[in-house]
Amino acid sequence: MRRAAGHRIGLGLIVCLLDTAPMAEPLSGEALFAVACEACHSLGPEPDHRIGPPLGGLHGRKAAGVRGFGYSPALQASGWVWTLPTTVAWLSDPDAAIPNNAMNYVNALSAEETQRLAEWLLAQP
Amino acid sequence: MNPLLSRRQLLLTSVAAPFANAQSIGIGGPVGHKILVIGAGLAGLNAALILEQWGFDVEVVEARDRVGGRLWTLDHMPGAPEGGGNVIGSGYGRVIYRAHELDVPLRTPPSALPSDYQIGGQRIPRSDWAVADANPLPDDWREIHPERLLAKLNEDNPLLKTRAWHHVDLMAQDQPADVGLRSLGFPESAIRLINANNSYGNHLSDTSLMGLYRVLGEFGRLSGPALAVTEVTQGNMRLPEAMANRLTRPVSLNEPVLRIRQTPAGIKATLTSGRTLDADAAVIAVPLPALGQIALDLPPDRRALLKSVAYHKVVQLHCIVDEPFWEAAGWSGSWWTDGQLGRIFTRPIPDSTRHNMTIWINGDDCDRLNALDADACTDMILSALWKLVPEAKGVTSVGQLVRWTTDPFAGGAWALWKPGQAGSAHDAIRAPTGRLFFAGEHTAEAYRGMEAAMESGERAALEVLRLLA
Ligand SMILES: Cc1cc2nc3c(=O)[nH]c(=O)nc-3n(C[C@H](O)[C@H](O)[C@H](O)COP(=O)(O)OP(=O)(O)OC[C@H]3O[C@@H](n4cnc5c(N)ncnc54)[C@H](O)[C@@H]3O)c2cc1C
Ligand code: HEC
Repeated sequence: MRRAAGHRIGLGLIVCLLDTAPMAEPLSGEALFAVACEACHSLGPEPDHRIGPPLGGLHGRKAAGVRGFGYSPALQASGWVWTLPTTVAWLSDPDAAIPNNAMNYVNALSAEETQRLAEWLLAQP
Repeated sequence: MNPLLSRRQLLLTSVAAPFANAQSIGIGGPVGHKILVIGAGLAGLNAALILEQWGFDVEVVEARDRVGGRLWTLDHMPGAPEGGGNVIGSGYGRVIYRAHELDVPLRTPPSALPSDYQIGGQRIPRSDWAVADANPLPDDWREIHPERLLAKLNEDNPLLKTRAWHHVDLMAQDQPADVGLRSLGFPESAIRLINANNSYGNHLSDTSLMGLYRVLGEFGRLSGPALAVTEVTQGNMRLPEAMANRLTRPVSLNEPVLRIRQTPAGIKATLTSGRTLDADAAVIAVPLPALGQIALDLPPDRRALLKSVAYHKVVQLHCIVDEPFWEAAGWSGSWWTDGQLGRIFTRPIPDSTRHNMTIWINGDDCDRLNALDADACTDMILSALWKLVPEAKGVTSVGQLVRWTTDPFAGGAWALWKPGQAGSAHDAIRAPTGRLFFAGEHTAEAYRGMEAAMESGERAALEVLRLLA
């Protein structure tokens, strides 16, 4: 909290003096996941009320690998395994990666953000 | 306890403990920044909830005396029909998530009764469509029911393979839908029927063919259980109400924003009441016709652009039917017409013998009605109804006239991109300018409708976080 308040005063000063827009710290993988993915994906092991499969323990998992989740035939037949390059490719353009998938998602993240998010996600148990 | 706040607490705690590099976590920083959200529809409310969760001080101002915007449950009518957004698709991840998190139950809607047809002034029972004299379609098309004609587009739909519906390459091939359908071999009679109740343009000649492919692509991708839809059990407006109730500060109602100025340190908004509000940034989540009414320092080309996007015209007359007058005469209860009345959706009111009947008029047919005052408009619709179904008279009463085009805080039902327009306009119309961020159904990428609003609020929140977190 203290850090935050100081941050704000600092910003105010910079803005007043230099008349420039503030520059924020880059958003963490965790923050990006919370904003852009969490409505559709939990980090748990089991499918829940969300419309996407749970993404806990994703690293090295076969695509469409969560039992009990109703995946698209396309994801099931993809033969993909979730690693850093495949996850980044999937998020960047799901339709190009695995056509006819059921994730209706157009990536609003920058390339750096996508990379940071994928790294963080793949490190989650 | 407020689960959102407790979750934030959790994230904040986790900054202190397990993460080596708290700097890059990007949480905790925004505490103290104030964000003004303009418009308490799903888009504004979703942005507000996300930003509050990240520690921003969020204030939502709303022009109407209620939240929900283009979700409008007619609570004063038996059966509480929806005057705005109706159905929630199975793929509406964010809507479904929020409803679950806020304990807003969803249900399968009671189905509308099947529709018969009135074509060229003649009534046709649904089962007779293919053989009826009044069916104007050529022999090899006659079996296709009017509401199913557009589905033919999925025989070769470029937007089944990609969701990049406004990609410049696709948009370069876009054309007016009537021209496009003709060149695809649709007979004139089919084009006329499609035009009669087209929900994706006010007239087929200014409807984007790619826009039609987009809608059909959405349906084409779904099958089986994925096609099922839901609605909020107690009325769709309960969802935005629950979202608003979750915010720390109550939404300020009856507060249309008149003007927004950017200052070096933030933004200053002036409300119609004369009140001014200062904030570090604003998320503007109002439909484009309403945005056009707000004084805002936008470059002239941007302002011209937002004025150039058309909105779909919808007029609805919501009625209550005391007795199922159609039964004795052997009709199904709903009608699909190529006339003035458009479509009539009749739906049973659960645990009652009464029905909700919604007359739903689309597109340029609304112009004449919108030029009248409310009473004259209602009378005009009713006299057409008595002509179409004289049996309805005496057992049908009016509950609510809904006109989205003349509503100053909506200006229409949803944004319509002209043929080719979305190629450049879609990105341009939502680009942040300084400390102003733009959300709303019309700015979404992946979805349309309610989920589009939610998606756009999420994206705008992300943009604010990038600037201020
Ligand atoms: C008749 C109809 C049927 C529909 N059917 C469906 C459906 O079946 N399924 C589906 O998914 N979607 C449907 N939709 C679309 C869906 O309702 C909308 O896409 C969604 O509700 C839009 O949300 P929004 O937050 O973008 O905009 P809105 O809900 O319009 O919210 C914008 C808010 O901004 C406020 N505002 C405007 N100007 C100002 C100002 N100057 N100052 C302050 N506040 C202001 C408005 O009052 C409003 O509350 C339908 C819409 C209509 C009209
Ligand atoms: C609107 C809902 C929605 C959003 C938002 C969304 N997803 Fe998905 N996601 C899905 C659905 C549905 C599937 C299943 C796709 C299929 O079956 O083809 C999926 C599948 C996946 C998979 C494959 C999982 C597996 O078990 O094979 C990954 C990885 C994934 N999503 C990551 C993400 C990340 C990371 C984000 C945020 C940047 C995200 N998704 C945002 C709905 C969503």
